[in-house]
Amino acid sequence: MDDKSTIICRCEEISCEEVEEVISNGGRTFDDVKRITRCGMGPCQAKICTSLVAEIIHQQTGLSLSEIPLPRMRMPISPIKLETLATNSTSFSAVKSVLDEVELEEGKVR
Amino acid sequence: MQTDVLIIGGGPAGLSAAIEAASRGLDVTIVDEANQLGGQLNQQTQELRPLPSIYESMRGFELAHKLIEQIKDYNVRQLLNHRVVGFYADGSAGITDEENVFPVNAKKIIVASGAAEKAVAFPKWTMPGIMTIGAAQTLINRDFVMPGREAVIVGSSDFAMETAIQLMDVGIRVKAIIEKQSGTAAKEQEKVSELTRKGIPFYFNSFIKEARGNGQVEQIDVALPDEVITLNVDLVCMDGGRAPILDVFYQLGCSFGFQEELGGWVPQYNNRLQTDREDVFIAGNAAGISTHGPLLLTGMIAGISASEELQAISHAEAHEMREALWKELGLLEYKEVYSGRVKHLENFASPVLKDQFIS
Repeated sequence: MDDKSTIICRCEEISCEEVEEVISNGGRTFDDVKRITRCGMGPCQAKICTSLVAEIIHQQTGLSLSEIPLPRMRMPISPIKLETLATNSTSFSAVKSVLDEVELEEGKVR
Repeated sequence: MQTDVLIIGGGPAGLSAAIEAASRGLDVTIVDEANQLGGQLNQQTQELRPLPSIYESMRGFELAHKLIEQIKDYNVRQLLNHRVVGFYADGSAGITDEENVFPVNAKKIIVASGAAEKAVAFPKWTMPGIMTIGAAQTLINRDFVMPGREAVIVGSSDFAMETAIQLMDVGIRVKAIIEKQSGTAAKEQEKVSELTRKGIPFYFNSFIKEARGNGQVEQIDVALPDEVITLNVDLVCMDGGRAPILDVFYQLGCSFGFQEELGGWVPQYNNRLQTDREDVFIAGNAAGISTHGPLLLTGMIAGISASEELQAISHAEAHEMREALWKELGLLEYKEVYSGRVKHLENFASPVLKDQFIS
């Protein structure tokens, strides 16, 4: 990209320059870029910038797109009010299930 | 809530899967975040062809009506304005009506989550007035809102060509189609010729250098191969291609492969449209970006395969129907997309990404 000030993540206002800096420091995945810059951590949860970041990694490193893994996609799939997520159902707790992402085996994370 | 088949996404693929499962007496639930079924069909005013042989060619919104009419004959529960927020350890889907989250326990899940448009980044592309072609199409055809008066389109896929014509039909002036490659990306030359006949310039090997404006896009600089020109526009439609929507598959722990012809990362599936999670099936653009005929056919195959597993249809009958549908898919789908799909099926046992969800 010619102009390095171009916004890549519109939610968190992360520029092309910031993404490229992470890559020049060794970043090779979307999640590397995310952890260092907050790219993809806004309201859209990386729905817009995933492909743009993958393209920059591809351009800068020569890695093929199939070598750049998908970002981690967590629950909730799209934003939801905590009030709604913490539903008042007594038979079912949605909040607890956020922890389902971690599986325990003999008290340790598998 | 209990159901035999939970279908996530009520677009063309989800609806055709629902018809197959519900017509065999299964209890089917469709969940969609929109307030009506039909998905993108609702704003598609273009004639869709070729469609599978059981449908005559028709416009997108007409197909939506037809599919919705068909499911009315059967036992299909519609959860509109509902979203899937995730899946729980016991396998149930957490679905919200925006008031509460409730679990839906399904014997089989068919995910027809569709595709998302990709953006094209250039300086100031986040300004109002700059949107994807799909957003512009939704505004004019569904919401009856003019997104602007003077437009350019960045990209030249079939979708972009259709939208350009629809924008002109409602009185928007399309000033140029800007394409970074040396030729159009569209596979149907008919619409390209129509635009050329109407005098729309195609700028090849070109891109937007910068957008400018006070609070909204007013001007763009276009870098042509040997000069930079300035156009006054209040609408820029970006066509960055489309990619399958994957988050539901990711949460379900499905494996993924990379197939450029299908839109990049795609969940792995076999010829039953079954993912490597045996109770999860896939249909439509989520299984690879394609045209309407294949979207309906993959929905039908997924619906038949789920019905087979629930013993609503015999193995022999399901096998025979699948064979016929795959044959038709091979005829209707663009050659390169179909060969990408065949390669993708072959990679079922050796996915590129697996066990992503639990690290």
